[in-house]
Amino acid sequence: MDFEFDDDQRELQRSVREVLDNECPPSYVRRIVEDGHDPADLWATLTSLDWPALALDPEVGGLGMTWVEQAIVLEASGHAAAPGPFLATTTQFAPAIREVGSADERLRFLGPVASGERTGTLAVDEGSGTWDPADVEATATADGGGWVLTGTKDFVVDGDTADEVAIALRVGDELRLAVVPGTDLDAEPLDPVDPTTRHARIHLGGVRIDGDRLLGTGDATVAIRRSLEEAATAVALTTVGACQHILDLDLEHVNERHQFGVPIGSFQAVKHKLADMYRDIERARALGYFAALCLAGDDPRRERAASMAKASAGECQRRVVQDGLQLFGGIGYTWEHDLHLFLRRAKVGDLHFGTASHHRRLVARLTLDSAYPV
Amino acid sequence: MRLTFDDATEAFRSEFVAWLDTNLPDPTTTAVRPNSSADVPQWSRDFQRRMFDDGWLVPGYPPEYGGRDAGLFEQMVYFEELADRHISRSLNPQGLGIVASSIIEFGNDEQRRDYAVPILRAEITAALGMSEPGAGSDLAGLTTRAMPDGDHFVVNGQKVWTSGAHDADVLLAFVRTDPDVPKHRGISALIIDTDTPGLERRPFPDLMGPDHLDFNEVFFDDVVVPRRNLVGDLNDGWRICTGALAHERAMLWVLWSEGLDTSLADLVRRVADTPLAQDDAFLDRLGSLLMDAESLRLLGHRGLARQQRGLVAAEQSLLKLMGSEGQRDVALLALDALGADAIDQREGTSSFQPWGANRGDASWFDRYLNSFAGTISGGTSEIQRNIIAERVLGLPRG
Repeated sequence: MDFEFDDDQRELQRSVREVLDNECPPSYVRRIVEDGHDPADLWATLTSLDWPALALDPEVGGLGMTWVEQAIVLEASGHAAAPGPFLATTTQFAPAIREVGSADERLRFLGPVASGERTGTLAVDEGSGTWDPADVEATATADGGGWVLTGTKDFVVDGDTADEVAIALRVGDELRLAVVPGTDLDAEPLDPVDPTTRHARIHLGGVRIDGDRLLGTGDATVAIRRSLEEAATAVALTTVGACQHILDLDLEHVNERHQFGVPIGSFQAVKHKLADMYRDIERARALGYFAALCLAGDDPRRERAASMAKASAGECQRRVVQDGLQLFGGIGYTWEHDLHLFLRRAKVGDLHFGTASHHRRLVARLTLDSAYPV
Repeated sequence: MRLTFDDATEAFRSEFVAWLDTNLPDPTTTAVRPNSSADVPQWSRDFQRRMFDDGWLVPGYPPEYGGRDAGLFEQMVYFEELADRHISRSLNPQGLGIVASSIIEFGNDEQRRDYAVPILRAEITAALGMSEPGAGSDLAGLTTRAMPDGDHFVVNGQKVWTSGAHDADVLLAFVRTDPDVPKHRGISALIIDTDTPGLERRPFPDLMGPDHLDFNEVFFDDVVVPRRNLVGDLNDGWRICTGALAHERAMLWVLWSEGLDTSLADLVRRVADTPLAQDDAFLDRLGSLLMDAESLRLLGHRGLARQQRGLVAAEQSLLKLMGSEGQRDVALLALDALGADAIDQREGTSSFQPWGANRGDASWFDRYLNSFAGTISGGTSEIQRNIIAERVLGLPRG
């Protein structure tokens, strides 16, 4: 394999970072966190740059880049702790529609995403926190030419702000995907640990949709699992980005902060913590891009790779958040310092779409079941 | 970025696989095992010689040194195929990987002819004299003294941890040739025949068992070494010690990767169809170790891809750290998970590896103990973390 970016990918990475440095500096993130600023202005900039269209298929008006390019953008957006609809729209809603929908349905729902007119999200979990489609109990019941939906969806990213919500639910024994306009839904926002990643609980409560808003034909379990592999990989990469930002801040700090007459970065106890943080970040980043490559090539290892990406990102943030804050000492414990903006993003990156522990066990089971030789 | 190698690289792989299919020693003839890292059984010498003659021993070298001028990706697939079959190219790994490669890179034509090529052709074996009782992690503090005296040096002092020295024909020894300059600038490298008068080797067993003799103390008492055995320039030995020793060094991680994969495969085989396979606490740790193995492989490939692009690849310390600590952690998980079953030395026996250095019959406890060879030798894990912090992350030296 060739596990390094080519020139075009390097250039993309450079330009994406430049955009986010300008449009989403820590001072901007702080406005989101402190004042509840609406990131619509950032989203407008990103849509003008075609970011939502980047990895969408040309058939719906997308630019047709691969998951590796998508990964580059995601890592950078995590590094900036960028708020807004990018994550849920392009890595949760779009994959679900692509995997489940017909060509016409893809055009109908993803065309407006590619053009930047509509945002979306995906609702699967119902409170277990594992995002396992097998746990879905919400239902759609035929009602004339339409469907009536019942049940509750939990931890839906942008669940109270997305234009369209793709909802996994059951029609009889089959798992299906419905797309519901956000304005029709009763969404209760959670009080976010990380205000740059907002979640909501959605009470379906008998909401009615038109018949053509139930997508695809037949059971969608496999398709929804595949889209969740993409969602998990995406969250993993943003988490790696946030962790890298924490490491960047720590390195700056330990070089500048002097105690006992020397920079604290010259102490071995400090160095070893930073070396381990670096190791865990490189490990998670490598597994994140490997998952992206597997998704790009629809490689049979994609399920295992996505779980490895998510689990390693979770393990990475555990160390980086903990030691990253510890190494800062008192100044890192203040509201004033920017460190906590990234600590929040990194920690929440582990908590949704299955924790490190959940995905580690999946990886181990897949291996023990001999689906993949070691 | 891509998951696969290009067609030319895959063709190279196929050619090597075809060669292996006809040239690997018959597994029934490889029962004689090495007693040390410089004790090479005849079947292994014959195989290494065949690899040399056919240009498969060190593919990155030119044909006169047993290679075929292969590129980096070609060397990579070569190592993948060796690792898959658990083939040791040489059962004198420090001879092939460090001594011969240092002489080829830094020595002169006469030294290459008299020492490097015979080592590569498995005609002689070599050991590496680096550590001393007072110079371990602080290797540059070594004090074994070589006094220039006409057309020779007179060497006095002591080395320790010298693997395979009692079975080796020659020693590449790092010695102090100028005590009056900063320590890194007064070191030279000498090739020393081990039967030179005044050189005494005392093997001592490691903790694996009283008959497990690989380490040596090597004493030098007025040992006379010809000046022509100086490798590189006088007082320039530190560069040989730490520099890019060989083209292949960027691929040493493949051995770590192979070791980790092998241990994990043995553990997975052992616990499949047992209650442990349903135990969440066990699965948590196994999953993490599987990620260690996968990420080690990926980071190795990334280093290679960077090197291929002419970029600086700073991965070596990271890969060594991950590989050695990963092996330790697999053994620890096995011991924790098997519990009382692991009391029996025979527990954990894996399949015989006919072309490797080991019998593959180590118990999990032995593997645990053995893992410390990885986290201590060649720069301890603590030293690797210092290197990462200082050279990769740019932190000030303490």
